Amino acid sequence: MNRYLSQYRENEEHILGWGFIVLFLLAWELTPHLVALPKGLALFFTTPYHIALKLFDMVTSGEVAFHFYVSGSEFVIGLGLSILVALPLGLVMGRFYTLNAMFDPFVTAFNATPRLVFLPLVVLWFGFGIWSTVVIVFIGALFPLLINTYEGVKNVDRVLVNVVRSFGANEWQLMKIVVLPNSMPYIIAGLRLAIGRAILGVVVGEFFGSDQGVGFLMAEAAGNYIVDVVFAGLILFMGISLVMTMAVKKLEDRLSRWRPEQVKTF
Amino acid sequence: MEPYIRSTDITLTFTPKNRDPVTALKDFRIELNSGEFVSIVGPSGCGKSTFLNVLLGLLKPDMGEMEIGGKKITGPGVERAMVFQEFGLLPWRTVMANVELGPELKGESVASRRPRAQELINLVGLTGFEGHFPHELSGGMKQRVGLARALATDPEVLLMDEPFAALDAQTRDLMQAELLQIWDKHKKTVLFVTHSIEEAAYLSDRVIVMTARPGKTKRIIKINLPRPRGYEMRLSPEFNDIKLDIWNTLKDELNPRE
Repeated sequence: MNRYLSQYRENEEHILGWGFIVLFLLAWELTPHLVALPKGLALFFTTPYHIALKLFDMVTSGEVAFHFYVSGSEFVIGLGLSILVALPLGLVMGRFYTLNAMFDPFVTAFNATPRLVFLPLVVLWFGFGIWSTVVIVFIGALFPLLINTYEGVKNVDRVLVNVVRSFGANEWQLMKIVVLPNSMPYIIAGLRLAIGRAILGVVVGEFFGSDQGVGFLMAEAAGNYIVDVVFAGLILFMGISLVMTMAVKKLEDRLSRWRPEQVKTF
Repeated sequence: MEPYIRSTDITLTFTPKNRDPVTALKDFRIELNSGEFVSIVGPSGCGKSTFLNVLLGLLKPDMGEMEIGGKKITGPGVERAMVFQEFGLLPWRTVMANVELGPELKGESVASRRPRAQELINLVGLTGFEGHFPHELSGGMKQRVGLARALATDPEVLLMDEPFAALDAQTRDLMQAELLQIWDKHKKTVLFVTHSIEEAAYLSDRVIVMTARPGKTKRIIKINLPRPRGYEMRLSPEFNDIKLDIWNTLKDELNPRE
């Protein structure tokens, strides 16, 4: 008895966490058997078992792979482009007053505007399909990354800049040796936000501006009252979001080995 | 003999945003011989650190110029290196990578800079800590890294900006003794800024006492104590006389409100 108890104590967090998930699924599965749902809801109700079956079907038929590939590409290309633009731009805006003064009104205005208002225009310009979604992802991810990079550069340690300059560093070496590493916690926090925005961009772009991808799959299924598929898509997005969050956490751990304590950026 | 470092009258005024201009240095003049250990003491805010930054090449004076070895100072240079007050170590770099900073910026390859960095790490007594990050070190150890890093480019002049001010008293005594040993062995010219009269008297050949802001030289006191100087010397009557002399020179400059 004591042995079980000590084992429980050791893994309490996991047992409680996973236990509650299992309990939740079980309760969900049993709901239609235990209570009479109102007619409107019962029509669009499904249970974990049916969702799992449907998801399995979609995986084996290759349907998931196809749409997942599209959504994944949009995500990777859009986020990649935003990183390529935001990092250098944030660095120079933080270092050079003139550039900052020039770009700041644009950044402020675009960042204050909900990215969705660009969607109609983007669809007109880039057509119905993957590229308009890529652009929405790009616009969504760009600003949190840009603003955080800029803030990081602005908050660079003055003493360290002087130290490195005193050893004869030029502006490029200064960026590489002090400014960039010093901004890293800010950039990672920005990346975390950017990933959230990028996934949101994939969903919204595919809901309204595409004919393929997991988001499109969900929108189409919902239009045809196929609730299982809607849930399957939802689970896919949930999965991606979780994986990406953990990936950033890993990256953060790797980049902050030199820190006395883990800085919680969330 | 020509002094190794010399300046014409240096004047430097800061103009902070929305504040009145502050004249940090006014007609400050200095001459240093090669291999000499000179300290600057003065009241807080008298421009001691400002002057070090001018000499380091990070600040440009409004008037006057400085020469080192007959060459005008226009920016940072390899013949000068600074040991910073709050250590100024790059927290994301290991001890080794911090010490290698100067040679790395000069474009030296790892193969050529590593043995010398290791030698300096050994010299300051940090053997075995090469892979540690600054946050894993004590204050004294951090400043040892700071010292090794400054020595890594093999400068002629070591500028030290209250390097031991952040250390506890015992570590401080220890570091002073070790600094003297290293200075004796490597024959550097040292310009040492400090608040501590005792520190200045113990380490230096000459002590420059500065006036309150705007800072200029009030008096230069020669320390005629034999070297090598041991801890016992600090308890001798001669040493106390020197301390008293510096104190008497300095005390009128101190602002009682500080």
